[in-house]
Amino acid sequence: MKTTRMVAAAAVTVTVVLTGYSAGGSNAAEVGGAGEPITVHLVLDQDVGTMLPMDSNVDDNIAVLDVVYDGLVRYDPATTEPHPYVAESIDTTDNVVWTITIKPDLTFQNGEPVDAAAFARAWNYAAYGPNAMANNYFFERIEGYDAMQGETDDDGNVTVEPEADTLSGLTVVDDLTLEVTLTGPFAGFSTMLGYTGFFPVAQACLDDIETCAVQPIGNGPFQVEEWQQGVSLTATKWADYTLDETPNFDRIEWTEYAGASDWPDFLAGDLDASFPPPAEQAAAEADADLQSRYVETPGAALTYLGFPLYLDGPWQDIEFRKAISMAIDRQGIIDALFPGTRVPADSWVVPGGVPGGEAGTCDWCTFDPDAAVAALEAAGGWPEGEVLIISLGQDETNEQYFKAIGDSIQATLGIPYELNPTPDFFANRADRAFTGPFRNNWFPDYPLNENYLAPVYASGDPEGNTQFGYYNADFEAAIAAGDEAATLDEAVTQYQEAEAILAADFPTVPISFSVNQAYYSERLSNVVLDPFSGRVKLRPLVVTDGE
Amino acid sequence: MGRYIARRCLQAVLTLFLVVFALHLLTTLAIQLNGNPALAFFGDRVPSATQLAAVEQRYGLADPCFDQPGNPCLGPFVDRVVAYAQGDFGTNLRGRDVTDIVVAAAPNTLRLFCIVTITWLVVGMTLGSVAARWRGKAVDHSVRLTSVLIDAFPVFVLLVVYRYVFSVPLSNWAEDRFGQGSLPALWFRPSFDDAHPWATVLVPGVLLGLAGSAAFVRLVRASQLECYSGEHVRTARAKGLPEHHVITHHVVRNSSVPVVTAVGLTFADALGGAVITEGLMNIYGMGGVLWQAVRASDVSLVVGVVTILSIVTVVVMIVVDIAYAALDPRIRYE
Repeated sequence: MKTTRMVAAAAVTVTVVLTGYSAGGSNAAEVGGAGEPITVHLVLDQDVGTMLPMDSNVDDNIAVLDVVYDGLVRYDPATTEPHPYVAESIDTTDNVVWTITIKPDLTFQNGEPVDAAAFARAWNYAAYGPNAMANNYFFERIEGYDAMQGETDDDGNVTVEPEADTLSGLTVVDDLTLEVTLTGPFAGFSTMLGYTGFFPVAQACLDDIETCAVQPIGNGPFQVEEWQQGVSLTATKWADYTLDETPNFDRIEWTEYAGASDWPDFLAGDLDASFPPPAEQAAAEADADLQSRYVETPGAALTYLGFPLYLDGPWQDIEFRKAISMAIDRQGIIDALFPGTRVPADSWVVPGGVPGGEAGTCDWCTFDPDAAVAALEAAGGWPEGEVLIISLGQDETNEQYFKAIGDSIQATLGIPYELNPTPDFFANRADRAFTGPFRNNWFPDYPLNENYLAPVYASGDPEGNTQFGYYNADFEAAIAAGDEAATLDEAVTQYQEAEAILAADFPTVPISFSVNQAYYSERLSNVVLDPFSGRVKLRPLVVTDGE
Repeated sequence: MGRYIARRCLQAVLTLFLVVFALHLLTTLAIQLNGNPALAFFGDRVPSATQLAAVEQRYGLADPCFDQPGNPCLGPFVDRVVAYAQGDFGTNLRGRDVTDIVVAAAPNTLRLFCIVTITWLVVGMTLGSVAARWRGKAVDHSVRLTSVLIDAFPVFVLLVVYRYVFSVPLSNWAEDRFGQGSLPALWFRPSFDDAHPWATVLVPGVLLGLAGSAAFVRLVRASQLECYSGEHVRTARAKGLPEHHVITHHVVRNSSVPVVTAVGLTFADALGGAVITEGLMNIYGMGGVLWQAVRASDVSLVVGVVTILSIVTVVVMIVVDIAYAALDPRIRYE
């Protein structure tokens, strides 16, 4: 009987394949039959441990909390420009003191009011060092942050306990007014406020933080129904939601796939959006039906090469850095290894992804073997007998990527190289232990060009920043000018000038930007991918009931 | 028998202690050499010393011994053993109870093992008995060929081919033929579905079982052949017992001792297969949890899960040894 069934199954398979079977998301629609709730089936592909806004900093929990919580501002799905949402207004005259007025009569899903105190309690909790929240550092700019951190010695033992457990720069003026004082002017502060780490939390959440981490009490259009950690998370529409962004579907079901590919499930119609693993991409591209349900947007992550500018060596010479940059055949490597899933970078800020991001700010980021050889000569060549050591973390994909980059440098410039994948990557980088170029990857926290520049390159330390040892007073001044600008637009322009200074100094070599891609099922429309999380943006999404 | 069990249990406790100690040393060394998992918490950002210290505290890695390669970190080890003895297996890095994780993950792995074991026994006993019964005939040769073929196919390849080539058309066909949510449609789902754990674990379990069944087929055949030429079988036949009685009572039963031993031994091996199967089919089970934990340098989770698995393995071994006595009257433990 077993044999018969197997033969039958095989026969059916062959028939299905031969008759030009076409796949994808067709029967996920059937879940939402007449009168039944319309459910969207999505994926969480990391092993996330928390849904606490103060502690959520990876794509998956950010994507879930984006519909469970409402922030003071929200970002335009297309342009990422911020606009007030829970906030009525956000005003400042000097970019230091910010007055945030909150819309009246908003509540959490448990009935508690969403007021100034709700934001203050979340931010104080996140900023308090011993709580070790992932989004702790976002509050560095608010006055009183340092007093909440305590001090530690070199071994990491706490020597001084924090003096305060609330931010002195945070004042609840009245129920709906919050006044925030920053340690210095920062024009981009209102832009930051839409980030997950700035969401409000209910008092009931802080009272039982462990429960709240798996069963969040939000103020957004959806509420978490059940989270079976490692398996699935479901959220249903919150009936009492009063603001505008109300999706037309009733339920979201995220299945967790830690490590496994979800592509076959998408093809079998069990999921509404997915992207194939490399081996399946060609087949997907050849399928016209699937191609009609494909969406792609620029991703926000920049991969770039840093140099140990804190050490003597050829990298001190900008001509050498130019030579390395122009010796890398970015497009060729991407076409060979990750066709379509990355784009060569010729700027330090993602073009079209965040305000102020423009392509082509880097003059030496295109593959030009002749110019590269000339630049190397101008730099005095590579020291005889030395090997260029390129360091990176242990990761199969990145090792493959950087081997190709090393090969490209070696083929163009004749510099022998060695790859140094190390599990101690972060520690070594923090300790300035690298003796050659090393991989870096920057993922911005909020949509503003400043976020690609200041946190990475502006340290205020003439010795140079920790990672690369880069310092330029003009660059720092340009960032400061942006921070003090009267409007966000002016600030963006100032930050662009800072990028131009960076481009002239050329301390790092941009290599590639990520690309967000997804295929979606027939029942979805108005599919927009978030440039940050790369996930389908749920609020503008339209789901048609397939039945 | 009672004394034997008591002795075995004492040995088991000692074994478990050694396992926990070895694991502790290995994971501690891994942290000392690989760098602190607390640093990975910050991704590409450089944390301040206080931020790092706070996360180390939260991860339970604040003890300075974790920064000193070669230091056995006996302090944290004693704390852990004391906690384990009280039934407290600690939490993972993100503060979730290890026992909660195991309670959620173990049933799926047990389902998988259950189907794997049944597949082993059914395939192994059937094909092995057939091959032994008709030794040297065409059927014997084809069984041998089949088992070689199965052996040559790594479980990884088997699962990848099934998942990417067969499961999608099969599940679509089953949904069209039998309807959405019908049992056959669930069997062929490309991934595990927690709402239908048995139905969606069936095919992966059978495939994993098939991949491991070749050894069983050979084992059963060999041990039955030995029985066929045994004196007790000749006597039974000489007494005029019907052939089916001879086979079931004197051949199959007597040949099952080595098979049971093998099931016990391979149980531990199956966990390796379970890591692959659970990973590929997205089954939330012990293998997958362990895999993730090792990758994240989640010491308490690794040690906690492996300790619980060791307890299971040790218990299975004891049960297997006791089962011998039930199967073979000549074996007595005194």
